Amino acid sequence: MMEDVRHSIFSLDALSNYIVLFAFAAVMIIFSVTTANFLSLENIYNVIANKVVLLAIVSLGMTIVIAAGGIDLSVGVSVDMSALVFFSLLAAGFSAPLGVFAGLFAAFTVGAFNAFLINKLRIDAFLATLGVLFIGSSVQRLATNGGTPITLTTQEYAPVFQVISDSQLLGLPTPVWILALCSIAVFLLLHKMVFGRYVAALGAKPGVALYSGVRVPRELSKVFIYCAVLCGIAGILLSSQVKSYIPLSGDAFLLDAIGATFIGTAMTSDRRPTVVGTLMGVCLLAFMRNGLLLVGWNFFWQQVGIGVLIFVVLAFSFGLRKREE
Amino acid sequence: MSDIAIDMRGISKQFGPVKALENVDLQVRKGSVHGIVGANGAGKSTIIKILAGIYRLSDGEVEIDGKPIDTITPASIEKEGVHFIHQDRLLVPTATASEAVFLNNEPRVGPFLNARRMKREAVELIKKHFQVEIDPDTLVRDLSAAQQKIVQISRALANKAKVLVLDEPTAALVAAEVTSLFGVLRALRDDNIAIVFISHYMQEIMDICDDVTILRNGENAGNVVPAESSIEEIVALMVNRDTSEMYPRRTAEIGEPVLQLENGTRVGHFENVDVEVHKGEVLGLTGLLGSGDKQLLKCMFGLDQFDAGTFTLNGNRRQFGSPAEAVKAGLAMIPEDRRAHGVAVDLSVSDNISIASINSHSNNGYVDTKSEANMVNGLIAELGVKTPDRFLPVRNLSGGNQQKVVVAKWLSCESSVYLLDDPTVAVDVGAKVEIYNLINRLAGEGKGIIFVSSDLEETVEMCDRILVMYRGRIVGKYQRGEIDSDQLLAVASGASTDIREVP
Repeated sequence: MMEDVRHSIFSLDALSNYIVLFAFAAVMIIFSVTTANFLSLENIYNVIANKVVLLAIVSLGMTIVIAAGGIDLSVGVSVDMSALVFFSLLAAGFSAPLGVFAGLFAAFTVGAFNAFLINKLRIDAFLATLGVLFIGSSVQRLATNGGTPITLTTQEYAPVFQVISDSQLLGLPTPVWILALCSIAVFLLLHKMVFGRYVAALGAKPGVALYSGVRVPRELSKVFIYCAVLCGIAGILLSSQVKSYIPLSGDAFLLDAIGATFIGTAMTSDRRPTVVGTLMGVCLLAFMRNGLLLVGWNFFWQQVGIGVLIFVVLAFSFGLRKREE
Repeated sequence: MSDIAIDMRGISKQFGPVKALENVDLQVRKGSVHGIVGANGAGKSTIIKILAGIYRLSDGEVEIDGKPIDTITPASIEKEGVHFIHQDRLLVPTATASEAVFLNNEPRVGPFLNARRMKREAVELIKKHFQVEIDPDTLVRDLSAAQQKIVQISRALANKAKVLVLDEPTAALVAAEVTSLFGVLRALRDDNIAIVFISHYMQEIMDICDDVTILRNGENAGNVVPAESSIEEIVALMVNRDTSEMYPRRTAEIGEPVLQLENGTRVGHFENVDVEVHKGEVLGLTGLLGSGDKQLLKCMFGLDQFDAGTFTLNGNRRQFGSPAEAVKAGLAMIPEDRRAHGVAVDLSVSDNISIASINSHSNNGYVDTKSEANMVNGLIAELGVKTPDRFLPVRNLSGGNQQKVVVAKWLSCESSVYLLDDPTVAVDVGAKVEIYNLINRLAGEGKGIIFVSSDLEETVEMCDRILVMYRGRIVGKYQRGEIDSDQLLAVASGASTDIREVP
């Protein structure tokens, strides 16, 4: 019986693993029939370069955290702090590489602060990152007179933004290459390296990790720092794309990143987050949102659509699996 | 009106194929303190949980105050006036003392809580019965263990309890508190309240009980009036002597010392404890609940810290700040709660086995999957873990096989000393024998083993030497064969303090 379940692709359990693919196919078919432009190369290019890349990089960070049994509500803060520091340095006339480095370091600091709260003060990850979310939002308002965007007065850095966000390499947009590199890095971390084993153990049963001699605080620090630095990369990309720092713009990623990661868990039998699953989840959300937009739904109805989509995918996936048991 | 407060007749309880209770009778007279004693697994807690409505009985009849009760639920049994003071204090930690006393029985004015009256009555009630004052606004979690017991018993009294069931009420109390608790119990008994008293401590049973029911292996082993009996007689009735082929023989050679602890102290848990384990030796460490034996293991493994003492492992003085340091130095822990600390049931056999040693099967942080697979497959074959392949989630293995996975994890680290914390708790007899074989095998490979067990018979049969702890101190040291489980129980329950130095 057990053998059957594990080896037949026709079992309900295996079927439930393909639910995300089915949903993705359904979304693609429905919108290509109902709208004229959905399947055009231009639209797909636009969705991937502008919507998928940023959300995917943040979601990869979220994937690491959720795989380790935690949650990071402060991803938006990492995105924004990176952008804030990056643009502040550019505005002060520092060189672009220094700005990028300092931006990423700012994100690193957010992750390290999360780790400090969780490891040293023993605050639950949910509450620790929620606190950082509040603090980070206020810091941004305080630093920008209540939320004024930072834009540059000179055109000095225009080539830099061009290279980061608006160039192509071997026929693909540079941000897509950056996403590819991030995906490979996280894939190696989670699925090929010792770190990934510790993450899986922490996610499955933290007590077992502790009793097996895993240095739990150290590994948890890495988890939150990797996530924050990935968000920092997204922050640099985002601000280069819009050529300004807009306070609190990172908050928009939080719910979609959590949603994409959990949709991705429906793709494996053990329901653990994976890099491939998360990328699929991001594509599903991005194309769904784009399709709804083209159909003419406004932002709020798009949110309803996304909510229903997540609900349907996860309900189907878990429902099928449960019936099997 | 009947003289008998609780009359349970022919009680049987099955858990699947396991008979936890068979045809057990229990009669508790009004105005008496009735003790229930038995070794671990004898059925004490099962019969109490049946009476409390937590378990449904498979067969038998229950009468409360002469009135037959068909189905017992936790709510209905309280209505009959039977109240339970459970071992793990079931109080709302953030309620105040007065709220806890009147939980579900709050004085009201119309729909509103009458807080002033509630506080006043709580203070009066506690003062009347216990002659102490407790601030009604103190939070339950800030009360001492003794005060929490007082609050629990007061709640029962506020509900006009006719029967009080106390499960190990003295486990967390100091001697003076035990004495005053007994004073209260005697006063309640004289008010015609029936009291059921469950304790591991034989001397307490002798001091407070009017009648004692002895259980053994889920059956009645006798009823005794302590005033006309002795601890020895009761213990003899408790212990099952049939040990047959349960315990496989061991032919390990005992070598040099690998682990030593001198004057180990953890304030509030144990004091000035000396332990020495040799290669190939199984050292038993036993004591009743709260004796400090489990805390001692935790301190050795870096889960908690010694406040004083010298701890030496493989000839080096150590003090581990975390389990990670202890594991690196060669300690292995087989924890009591297997599903919380031993195996992650959602992960595969392979992931569980390799978690502790994965670093030595990696290059620059990358897992060498070939080397890992060889190691895992080797250990699965060596220990005979029954699994179709190494990718099966551990959830699908039997208890004994899960325990093998835990042992395999440590074999892969080449640990030198194994700390076993009640490794056979809640596994069936077949799995127990497998675990005993594993222990023998580890000893045969020259590992040092500290075997903490609350099963006294197992301790006597499996260990080369035995240390007995009682309230944080070592009160007995024995070589194999010097003590049987009756005597061990007497020492562990503080009835005898026969300290014999090992030559």
